[in-house]
Amino acid sequence: MSLLSLIIFLPLLVGLVILILPASLQQKFKYITLVVTLIQLVISGFIYLKFDPSIAGIHQETQFQLVEKLSWIRLDLGTAGKLEIDYFLGIDGLSMPFLFLTSLIMAVAVLSSWEIKTNLKAFFALFLLLDAAIMGVFCALDFFLFYIFYELMLLPLYFLIGMWGGIRREYAAMKFFLYTLFGSVFMLLVIIGLYFSVVNPATGNHTFNMITMMDPANFVQGSIFSAAANLELFGISARLLAFIVLFIAFAIKVPIVPLHTWLPDAHVEAPTPISIILAGILLKIGGYGILRVCFSIFPDAASQSSWWIGLIGVVSIIYGALNALAQKDLKRLVAYSSVSHMGFVLLGIASGTVEGVSGAMLQMISHGFLSAMLFFLVGVLYQRVHDRDIYSFRGLATLMPAYSAFIMVAFFASLGLPGFSAFIAEAFTLIGAFSSESVNGWLPRWMAIGGSIGILLSAAYFLWTLQRMFFGQPRLKGGDNWLSQLSDVNLREKIALAPLALMALLLGILPSIAFDKMNTSVIEFVRFITS
Amino acid sequence: MEALSQNYIVLAILAVLLPVAGFLRVLFIKNTSRAFFYAIAGISASFIISAYIFTAVWNNQTVHYQANWFTIGNTTISIGILINNLAALMMVLVTGISLLVHIYSLAYMKNDPLIHRYCGYLGLFCGCMLLLVIADNLLVLYMAWELVGFSSYLLIGFWFTKDAAAIAAKKAFIMNRIGDVGFLIGLFIIYTQFGTFDIQKLFGEQGLVGSAILHNGVWIAASGQLPAMWLTVAGIAFFMGAAAKSAQFPLHTWLPDAMEGPTSVSSLIHAATMVAAGVFLVARIFPLFNETVLLFIAITGVFTAFLAATIALTQNDIKRVLAFSTISQLGFMMLAMGTGSVAGGIFHLATHAFFKCLLFLAAGAIIHELGHVKEKENVDFDTQDIRLMGGLRKRMPVTFYTMVVASLALVGLPFTSGYLSKDAILIHSFEWAKSRGGLFKIIPYTALLVSWLTTFYISRLIFKVFFGEWRLQKKLNAIFSVHESPAEMKYPMIILAVFSLFFIFSYHPLLFEKSWILSGFDQAESLQRINAFHTIIPATVNLISLLIIYLCYRWYVKPGFAGVAQSNFFYRLSESQWYFDRIYDILIIKPVTQLWTAVYWFERRVVDGIVNLAGSFGIISSSVSAWVDKYLIDGIVNGVAVLAKRIGDFSRHFQTGRLQHYLVTMLFFVLTFFVLKYFTQLL
Amino acid sequence: MIPLSHFLIISAVLFCIGLFAVLSKRNAIQILIGIEFMINAGVLNLVAFSRYDRINSGGQVFALFAIVLAAASVAVALAIILNVYKKSSTIDLSKVNQLSD
Repeated sequence: MSLLSLIIFLPLLVGLVILILPASLQQKFKYITLVVTLIQLVISGFIYLKFDPSIAGIHQETQFQLVEKLSWIRLDLGTAGKLEIDYFLGIDGLSMPFLFLTSLIMAVAVLSSWEIKTNLKAFFALFLLLDAAIMGVFCALDFFLFYIFYELMLLPLYFLIGMWGGIRREYAAMKFFLYTLFGSVFMLLVIIGLYFSVVNPATGNHTFNMITMMDPANFVQGSIFSAAANLELFGISARLLAFIVLFIAFAIKVPIVPLHTWLPDAHVEAPTPISIILAGILLKIGGYGILRVCFSIFPDAASQSSWWIGLIGVVSIIYGALNALAQKDLKRLVAYSSVSHMGFVLLGIASGTVEGVSGAMLQMISHGFLSAMLFFLVGVLYQRVHDRDIYSFRGLATLMPAYSAFIMVAFFASLGLPGFSAFIAEAFTLIGAFSSESVNGWLPRWMAIGGSIGILLSAAYFLWTLQRMFFGQPRLKGGDNWLSQLSDVNLREKIALAPLALMALLLGILPSIAFDKMNTSVIEFVRFITS
Repeated sequence: MEALSQNYIVLAILAVLLPVAGFLRVLFIKNTSRAFFYAIAGISASFIISAYIFTAVWNNQTVHYQANWFTIGNTTISIGILINNLAALMMVLVTGISLLVHIYSLAYMKNDPLIHRYCGYLGLFCGCMLLLVIADNLLVLYMAWELVGFSSYLLIGFWFTKDAAAIAAKKAFIMNRIGDVGFLIGLFIIYTQFGTFDIQKLFGEQGLVGSAILHNGVWIAASGQLPAMWLTVAGIAFFMGAAAKSAQFPLHTWLPDAMEGPTSVSSLIHAATMVAAGVFLVARIFPLFNETVLLFIAITGVFTAFLAATIALTQNDIKRVLAFSTISQLGFMMLAMGTGSVAGGIFHLATHAFFKCLLFLAAGAIIHELGHVKEKENVDFDTQDIRLMGGLRKRMPVTFYTMVVASLALVGLPFTSGYLSKDAILIHSFEWAKSRGGLFKIIPYTALLVSWLTTFYISRLIFKVFFGEWRLQKKLNAIFSVHESPAEMKYPMIILAVFSLFFIFSYHPLLFEKSWILSGFDQAESLQRINAFHTIIPATVNLISLLIIYLCYRWYVKPGFAGVAQSNFFYRLSESQWYFDRIYDILIIKPVTQLWTAVYWFERRVVDGIVNLAGSFGIISSSVSAWVDKYLIDGIVNGVAVLAKRIGDFSRHFQTGRLQHYLVTMLFFVLTFFVLKYFTQLL
Repeated sequence: MIPLSHFLIISAVLFCIGLFAVLSKRNAIQILIGIEFMINAGVLNLVAFSRYDRINSGGQVFALFAIVLAAASVAVALAIILNVYKKSSTIDLSKVNQLSD
């Protein structure tokens, strides 16, 4: 069993073990889960170190690393050929960073699961199932396998939000579930369409292999998604339609305006560890999917729609920031800031430039660390006094100095203070978007300028919150009662927060630790989609 | 030579890192007792290194070192240091003044419980400022640029329990962010056009910017081309950044509010060093600016100078007067830049740094001592209000004399440093206007007017604070004692006073052209020297200045002056700072607030509304189908059953259990059968 | 020779009397008597039609059978009536309607 399988199935197995263990051991479950995530972290750290940055991957099967390819389902369908589904895993520069991100965020999420008090067995079993599914999504290269993992994430998330969430948890869980399902159901149609359009040249069978789908030569002549045939469906090119459908499926996860409204509800109602996972990893699956699936399989459609994707990115940036300014609930503010920050990812990807895509990748990783940190911090406050209304607090800096220091780091890092990862990411995303018109003519220049207004607005809402909640004389809604409850961050919380802050700082000062590993892939990706 | 250069590089990096080490220390160690010791040790070392590098670099060599920082795609971004005359001068200036302010703070901040944080923040500021100065790369420069803004945020909000301080810090950061967005847009343009951020490659001799040409409305560089408009946009965008940092109109309103920070901070950051970073930036990327942008800079500069000077006339808060004076002087430096005199602008930056820092430190000394009075006598009054001061000349003689020296330098009277640098700017601007003629002449004449306004407000300040009687005693009807500040505060002030005199900058007290700083920079535009200007202008300026000082003396020291009518329109305009805060509130903050409220309404009602509507539609359609299912589909099934039951119910009545009934029925059917059979046969 | 129709008329009259008794009487004994009437009407018909089967005399044989069976059924019926009487102390059949649902 190789590393990728191990990293996927270890949590799954341990999840089953937890289900078998007697409930009397339930106080131990969190430690078991923590150990699993730490093992994962070690493995992904090892993968990071071993990863060969000189091989691109993207559309060449031989260039993927840690490949595992086993035939999985081979069903003879008579005249329809042979069903060919592989257990096909592998990583390249676009997916490897996310493995590390996921492992770290998972470990932090476990540390914040200490606040979960009820039904621990189910919680940790579902948690580990979610962990396995996410890892699977980032590793899978067979579209069928990818889809299975993709859908498998929904199930535990639905229950994790719906059972351990806040007051309106059922509404939020349902909304989240339906939204995502809405996207992925249509995705399934496209997957089937692709299956019937693509033939594995080696065996002559139809295949779900994503890498095979990226080569236009593998499409059956006259099939629905064949670029050469250029068929039309409902009056638009079939390939463009398929691109749009896939894009919407992933964009709901990112999320984009106007398909983002599940996010504030889901984030606000979810328990802290799940908020951390949602913001830290789930949103990135959207961005990763757009890169790996939408742009790589349909590069022609991508270049046609990049203007719109860029526009959606800019609108998300500004719209999310303006909404964040209007919030009274700290968690909701952070949720809207996520919408705003993920807009940069879309803008960077849409630019089709090396700078833009690298920036978008770094932005995803950086936002993973920072949003996890922000949600963790909100969770700390909520756990103490069960309130997160910004107007209920004042002068927290005096009461909780260490907490305030972490908040300052998280806020300033998020608003793009140089020295933290978000700055490099946002700056290069915007540079990419700005130079796009000169490089490939995909995006007009005003989009970059529009996006930079988001940087200004993010400073406004974070600083306003800081000033309103943390500065001034201490004055709390809950009076003296709260005063005793608002203890400063404890050791466990510090241990969870410190690596996140450090990663954000490290990526800000030495962005090469991320860029070096993905440069070749990004260059190849950009060459591939723009050629 | 190479090895020596290596040494400078290591030393320069050390100079940056030593103060930052103080900041890192504060993150982990909460000990207040030795905080100042480490901070001063760090900054002293930094100062010594800077001075050493300065002596080696000035008019001699340029230290340039680069290392690869990271590679994004195919582009490698480097990080490095570039110490030329400009950077070396700034290094000495920053570390020198910083050191003095550190020493001053020993006494000024003595009783503050969070003193370790103060030291840490100051260290962070110094490190970032030095990085800004020596960065050889626009991206690194931008990073340092924002980081000094961040440390300024921390220091303005140092007394964060005061709401005013927290709000001022926020305002400062956000207004700077507006400028930063401009700076960032400038970076986009530079990167797109030239593919590098390297200052030396871009702006050096034979640099990329210099060799780019404009042809048929296209700006063509070696590595790319853009429409010519973007050259102007780039210039304006960078200037926007500079304007925010240097508090130029219309982004100037943060600086007066920044006075909520400790006075020592105001003197270091918001008077001498950080605010000058904008001027520094303009000097560093000067070749980028075209005629239009330069004119724009000149106009903005002179207008800011005028605006701030008029506001300073009527302010009663001692720090605010000085803050507006700073804005006004920065306007002068921008004017110099805009008229092409980089040397003049930098010269004024250097002289201004010393005397303005001194003015603030002196003001701080007064505030500090009055604070003691307030504490000791347990009376409540505003320690910064000049209306409550007066007669402090005898009580605080050192403060008085040093402050007078600084004021004279600000006014620009002969034998002070200010005389030299101000003349450099004024005369250059006259020559510049002369070569262009027409409406351009408005600019130097406005500058002239501003320098008289400067004379007036600073004289008013000095006379009100140090002469006459102590109005606080009169108001509260009590006798207070106030004495000179301690040595830690006194000596830095004395040193700064010495540095406000002419001989530091030029051996000739009256001729700015002899100054060694000016010789360190090339004049970007060589104008014809018009000798008449070099005598007439200084003479006029100073004569009228002396008259104004006398007028102030008559007004504020001699009894009998009724004061100007406070209902006067101009007085109110000046006192309310030209209503800028209110205008911004109405024109920007309110609409933006409404915008985000509207957007959130849109979000909840429309976007989420549509989603919920879709949800409701789902619910309604599902209840319709549930109805159909229940009453139609299931209805048919149940209907069959019901029908069978009904038939059963009907037929069970035949089952009476009475034999006769059965028999009758049987008979009936048999007979019927028979009859039917019979008749059908018959038919 | 008495024509066949006379026998048939008598048997029809007998049958009708029996039928009337069965349908109209409440007393079980009377009904039983009615049934006997009807059986005997049948028997009479059998004997009467027997003239067409002189060799085997099938009609008369069946008549004998019927008489024996009638006697047996009367015995059974009387036993039932006795039991009914024992159970519900009446032989009025309108009151014995427990077989209805």
